[in-house]
Amino acid sequence: MIPLAAVVAVRAGWRSSNRRFWIPVPLFLVWLLALPFVVLALPIFVIACPASRVDPFRALQVLWQLLCALRKTHVSVEHREASILVHIF
Amino acid sequence: MSDNRRQVLDMLAAGQITVAEADRLIGAIEDGPPAAAATALAERRAAAPRYLRVIANVADEDEGPIKVNVRVPLQLLRAGVRLASLIPPQAQDEINTALRQHGVGLDLSQIKPENLDELIDHLGDLTVDVDGEPNLKVQVFCE
Repeated sequence: MIPLAAVVAVRAGWRSSNRRFWIPVPLFLVWLLALPFVVLALPIFVIACPASRVDPFRALQVLWQLLCALRKTHVSVEHREASILVHIF
Repeated sequence: MSDNRRQVLDMLAAGQITVAEADRLIGAIEDGPPAAAATALAERRAAAPRYLRVIANVADEDEGPIKVNVRVPLQLLRAGVRLASLIPPQAQDEINTALRQHGVGLDLSQIKPENLDELIDHLGDLTVDVDGEPNLKVQVFCE
């Protein structure tokens, strides 16, 4: 299943006493918004893939797997001036 | 088909185990008592690494500490390798040539999900610690 939500946390400074701002990202809304564009682009994709000798169905399958595999990805970078955390649920 | 055998095949399909491991587990199911096979399956599932962790710490007195903590699901790496296998042969040749020109003797056509599974299996027992520049520490491991 593709990730449906993510969270981005931003903090000014690395000290734990500094306030961290949590920004929830509802990815399901992003997918919903992107769906019409994906549907529009699908015929172009299906035509372009054979032109570049790529199986379009396999390409779609791999792209779907890639999206699904993004779940539970966690990236955190802390610096003196700022820190950022991204977690995909 | 028994539940244990179906579980093994499901794990293989999901890319959690390699073909060799699936073969060994199915062999254990056929040869050993059902309880022993189920135990082996549960142990293998619990021990299988799921994430690649990269932790980097820089203790710079001027810039302050920099900490990087990345956890990447191994499924993402597998999907990335599958995506790389979609690159058309002509483009692969161009990429290989460009890599060779930069001193990287890597053949993209030889990178397959099965190879990655082997690599992941070995990474499970391995921790890479890099103490390069002063105050820099990098750890790479699977969990």
